[in-house]
Amino acid sequence: MDTSKPPATSAPPVEDDRVWKAGRLEPMPIRKLPDAPPSVHILGPTVFLVALGVGMGESYMWPRLVLLFGPEIRWLFLIGVTLQAVVMLEMARYAMATGESIFSGAARVFKPLMWFFFIVAMAVYIWPGHLSAGAAALEEISGIPWMITAIAGLVLVGVIFSFAKVIYNLLENVLSLLIGALVIGTAVVAAMVGSWSDVVTTITGMFSIGYLPAEAMTAAWFPVIVGACAFAGPSGMQQMWYTLHLRASGAGMGAHIPKVHGLRHAGEEEAMPSRGFMFDTEDPAEMAKWKGWRRWVTFDALLLFWGITMLVTISFTVIAQAAVRQNPDVRTAIQGDDREVALSAMADAVSSAGSSVLGVIFLGFIALIGLNATLGLFDSFSRGQADMTYNFVPGAKKLRMSHLYAGFLWGVIIFGILILLFGPADGPSGILDTLAFLSTFAMGAYCVTLLLVNNRMLPKPIRPRWWSNLIIGFGAVFYLGMLFYSLFAFGVVVG
Amino acid sequence: MIERHSLELALPGASIGAVAGAMAGGLTLFAGVPAGLAALSALAFAMTLGLFGGLYGVLLGHGLFRPGTFGPCGLYWMAAFPLSRLAQETLAGTGGLADGVPGFLVYQAMVGLGFAIGFVWLHERLMPHWLIRLAPANPQAEALLGLYLQHAQALRSSRASRSPRNSRSSRKGARR
Repeated sequence: MDTSKPPATSAPPVEDDRVWKAGRLEPMPIRKLPDAPPSVHILGPTVFLVALGVGMGESYMWPRLVLLFGPEIRWLFLIGVTLQAVVMLEMARYAMATGESIFSGAARVFKPLMWFFFIVAMAVYIWPGHLSAGAAALEEISGIPWMITAIAGLVLVGVIFSFAKVIYNLLENVLSLLIGALVIGTAVVAAMVGSWSDVVTTITGMFSIGYLPAEAMTAAWFPVIVGACAFAGPSGMQQMWYTLHLRASGAGMGAHIPKVHGLRHAGEEEAMPSRGFMFDTEDPAEMAKWKGWRRWVTFDALLLFWGITMLVTISFTVIAQAAVRQNPDVRTAIQGDDREVALSAMADAVSSAGSSVLGVIFLGFIALIGLNATLGLFDSFSRGQADMTYNFVPGAKKLRMSHLYAGFLWGVIIFGILILLFGPADGPSGILDTLAFLSTFAMGAYCVTLLLVNNRMLPKPIRPRWWSNLIIGFGAVFYLGMLFYSLFAFGVVVG
Repeated sequence: MIERHSLELALPGASIGAVAGAMAGGLTLFAGVPAGLAALSALAFAMTLGLFGGLYGVLLGHGLFRPGTFGPCGLYWMAAFPLSRLAQETLAGTGGLADGVPGFLVYQAMVGLGFAIGFVWLHERLMPHWLIRLAPANPQAEALLGLYLQHAQALRSSRASRSPRNSRSSRKGARR
């Protein structure tokens, strides 16, 4: 066999001595930007952001606010989700241009900034709160105690991710099927129970900019609204983790970075480079390819992320409105602080109207959302912490990235089981509340980080436009402003 | 034979449509519809959605749609989904037409766009596996599989051209 000639499609890598110096860390070698996918292909890493982002905000918090304050309150949701779509595009800019995560970008600007996110992630995401809602919904359907389901789920996640050869591929396949089922299911539910007038009120409500009833501006409800704004789309650090998934999917310069393997296949993993790469932004051919990648990710952001988040929220709001029409007691139940009570009241209301099937479907969706969030969160948390540890903790490179990933994964699983067994006994909701402040604060902080990273660490031709900077700047003011207003005006952080 | 080859391509889309339509059966019970009528409603919706889902696969095989692209598929379901719902309401009415047909159709077209996202998403997952099974005996499936492989190879070649890792550069600051 003649092996002297490489195939035409895979030209040998051309060595290039040039580098791009960004910050004080190791410069990035200049390499070729791979071609963008030949078509605007629908399957991208946005599946992770959708799986993480479509959660309690969409299925519970916003339908609840609509029932309490009317559909006009949804203008805040529109702002929240649109803002998140722009954040997604800007996160992708750095990750696709360099193959580095946004955490590495933050370290290039100012290393303590990255450590801040490392600590916030540890503080916020080691709690197994996100498991509880889905497990509680499953308990309603099956009668199996939620704690058993939650612990079994934790162990299962650990085993699956430890045995997977390439974690990204497995997770993408599983989440794709689950999200596909969720999207089709919610569309069918919305088609059956909703009407044009429901949608008209829901959509016109989105454009009632500035609407805030007097009751919303109270110590009881303003913190709840701040929390709901933070949970509109991906919350907390989920957008930052999206940069790791973009890299793992081989988007843009991420193609030059190897994939993380499961623990069992750690030996097959290639050595992880200590920095990313940059392409020649003065070469028109390279810039044309860059535009192709930007088109690809813009499609993902607008259609998949924005579209699915909107669809799921509108559908759940329509279901909640139908539930109140059937059983006005739901309004009273939903006003209470206990999320499980409210969710089960909504399910009961739709069941009592004639069939238990819709109630089960409703709870089934909540369980499905919980499962998606669990799979996505555990992987993302471990991936993010492993990335920061590998690149910035001295001596960590003696280990493979897979070992660090497995260490964080099993660490968070064992801690989660201990908390579920011996932690606060006041039910699952108690766990989620403390997350909200730090989550919201991290969101304001990553907007500032994004502005610094994209405007200082990238070559001029691929830096963001002024309007994009303006929106991200508005994001920082929006999240931090609401958070601190709530803190100083009402003495309460986030509800 | 040609018809059979085309029809074979319809299976993944028809299955997704039929399952989604059947889900609606339970939901019609929500409106207090008797079980018989609910079954008829489910059948009507499952059949029409299954039919349109299958037709999508056939048209994909004829090159009218491109694998993985959303725009044309979104438009397709904006028309097909309301028609399926209208057929369901006509055969086994559950009160969905109470607000009038135009409002009903506009609403369902909007939901159809959301349905299309989930449909393409799942179709893209199932179709390549089905094509691999069909390809040896079905030239249309083989041609369509070729398109999927072309895409996969394009992605693979971009990864194959990856540079050696950890190569240190000797000349710093060339671009800044």
